[in-house]
Amino acid sequence: MSLLQVEGLEMHFPVRGGLLNRVVAHVHAVNGVSFEVQRGEILGVVGESGCGKSTLGKCLVRLNTPSGGAFRYDGVDYTHADHEELMDYRSRVQMVFQDPYSSLNPRLTIRDCLTEVILFHRPHEAEVRDVDEMVLELVQKVGLRADAVDKYPHEFSGGQRQRIGIARALACNPEFLIADEPVSALDVSIQAQVLNLLMDLKDEFGLTLIFISHDLKVIEHFCDRVLVMYLGNVVEELECETLHESAQHPYTRALLGANPINHPRERRELTVLEGDVPSPFDLPPGCAFAGRCPIAEPRCSESRPPLEEKRSGHRAACFLVE
Amino acid sequence: MAKFLQQRGVKKLLKDRLAVWSMWVIGLYLVVAVVVLVGNVFLGGDWKRATEERVGPDNVPGLWSAVTTEDRLEHAKFYFDSVDKASRSSDPAGAYAALQWGADRLPDWSAEVIEREILEPARRLNEELSEVEELDDDPEALVKVDRLEALVRGRIGASHDQAGAASTSLGQRFRLLLGTDRQGRSILLRAIYSTKVAVQIGVISALISVLIGTILGAAAGYFGGVVDVCVVWLYSTFSSIPWIVLLMVLASAFRGSSVDGTLIPVYAAFCLSFWISPCRVVRGEVMKLKELEYVQAASAIGFGRARILFKHVIPNTAHLMFINFSLLFIGAIKAEVILSFLGLGVKTEPSWGVMINHAKSEVLNGFFWQIGTATAFMVVLVLAFNTLSDALQDAFDPKHV
Repeated sequence: MSLLQVEGLEMHFPVRGGLLNRVVAHVHAVNGVSFEVQRGEILGVVGESGCGKSTLGKCLVRLNTPSGGAFRYDGVDYTHADHEELMDYRSRVQMVFQDPYSSLNPRLTIRDCLTEVILFHRPHEAEVRDVDEMVLELVQKVGLRADAVDKYPHEFSGGQRQRIGIARALACNPEFLIADEPVSALDVSIQAQVLNLLMDLKDEFGLTLIFISHDLKVIEHFCDRVLVMYLGNVVEELECETLHESAQHPYTRALLGANPINHPRERRELTVLEGDVPSPFDLPPGCAFAGRCPIAEPRCSESRPPLEEKRSGHRAACFLVE
Repeated sequence: MAKFLQQRGVKKLLKDRLAVWSMWVIGLYLVVAVVVLVGNVFLGGDWKRATEERVGPDNVPGLWSAVTTEDRLEHAKFYFDSVDKASRSSDPAGAYAALQWGADRLPDWSAEVIEREILEPARRLNEELSEVEELDDDPEALVKVDRLEALVRGRIGASHDQAGAASTSLGQRFRLLLGTDRQGRSILLRAIYSTKVAVQIGVISALISVLIGTILGAAAGYFGGVVDVCVVWLYSTFSSIPWIVLLMVLASAFRGSSVDGTLIPVYAAFCLSFWISPCRVVRGEVMKLKELEYVQAASAIGFGRARILFKHVIPNTAHLMFINFSLLFIGAIKAEVILSFLGLGVKTEPSWGVMINHAKSEVLNGFFWQIGTATAFMVVLVLAFNTLSDALQDAFDPKHV
């Protein structure tokens, strides 16, 4: 059985306005997303800004309560669980945030920050062991020096802060990590370090990961499987190993084509997408991508193509993909 | 502490000479206030009474210079005229009762006795004195001026001999340093004692206002919804009332109660009107902070809302609390002066506002030292505080490197 099952997850944010502060519209951030994550794998989620990938992550750690659909973790439905019921889930599923400059409380030293989490989620372990020792161990695991514990976040660089953010997530001793663009705010050289750190930690702690990014190259390098999202929908799901060969959906192909290539003589298939992403306030009736799709047919804008299994381990939401 | 002094902002602040000076000045005021408070309350010294005691003749200017005899005569005539005018009114007894110069008043005599004991001899003296041309050359005239003063003030208290004899002692010289007011009280002692009142009002009302404002503002910003609506409604309502009117209403609401004239109505009035600005600012800041990732991380970890609010959100509004505290501290001191000047503030203790209020009629007679002293004490403190606030802003603002 898969570790995480997501079924038709929806997140619609109400927009209030007018005289009596009524709900005048909804932002359709996530529209019925379904997928499964197996224990021990790394699932990538890719898409452009505003496609709902971060909202999906926040729904899965219940920072937002989904407005529709459900997700089950290890067989238990946590979609609408309350604060007490979520306690166990929160110690097992943690999140790493995007911006290392705003993800750490500037008034807490690293020691205070980690100690608080350890005492909160692992009080029994903390009775047996010295908490300071546990903090030091964590700090060293994420590749920081032991004298870092008594410093404040502003004394660190972006990459170091991201390591601290990872240490904070690990302080709960989780088995599942949702990493929301953990490297997109970092320099390229630091990105590789943090990705390698995540890979090492995955092996050491036996973690399962959802890795959210807008960078297909990073996903390709790092993940086992990838979900491509467009305007709140999953448009394609495929194995990373054969990403270039098996990508079928025109949006995925466009994303792949947008990647710079590293040899001057190589030529790439370049599809420059024109137009804009449709408004998330009122979605088009057909395929959300139809308006920008180079191969769209009339039926694409009339009905929405379902996400179908095209081959084993490959799903795509497109009428024109075989 | 050593680490604190090494911070860039602190270093920059200590390099700013004006800032260091203003810190010394503020420190001096605080020390004076604490010494008066401790001496008055904990050591059992009744320093408040010392400020009410007559230490010398009325309206002596400071720095041991003497009032000219002409001035004294003029002043005495002013009092004589007011009694004389009262005697000719339709209801002399009522007019006498209404006559009051500060704490001094006419003795509680009947109109006939006042006529016989005060007005007749005073008229005679007045006539005799108006014939003298050079007052200082005539020793008899000096005695007459003394007697006239004594008569019309209804008090056979201070005479110049008494003050002259005592003025040799160091304590007396100190008390007379900045002169006396209309009731012969030491202006210097009163101004020093007022420092305690000012600092007390500033600290207590600013502290309570900031506390109320922060808690309400943080709750409104963090919980949103109904809490937010209630708090916003509350402060919109309060801020639609001009604060001076609110202060006057509250001050008069306490009239006649046992705390009337003490500092308590003043505290109440200030806290009720001053919590609005910290509340508004903190609410906005908290609305911003709660969307930051470290607050989201705290809820993803599963911390309760109270813990997030008090440990992760409110400590990060500390800079706003400091700024608001310093603004409200000065604001409260100035407001107290205005309120006391209008006769709605402190009545049981001297304060700068009370001193300025008492000095109103003195200034017309050219006795400027009471209003001058009170104003100077206040201006120096306010100026020092404003200078320090500016320097703090310069030193700790990350945009000015």
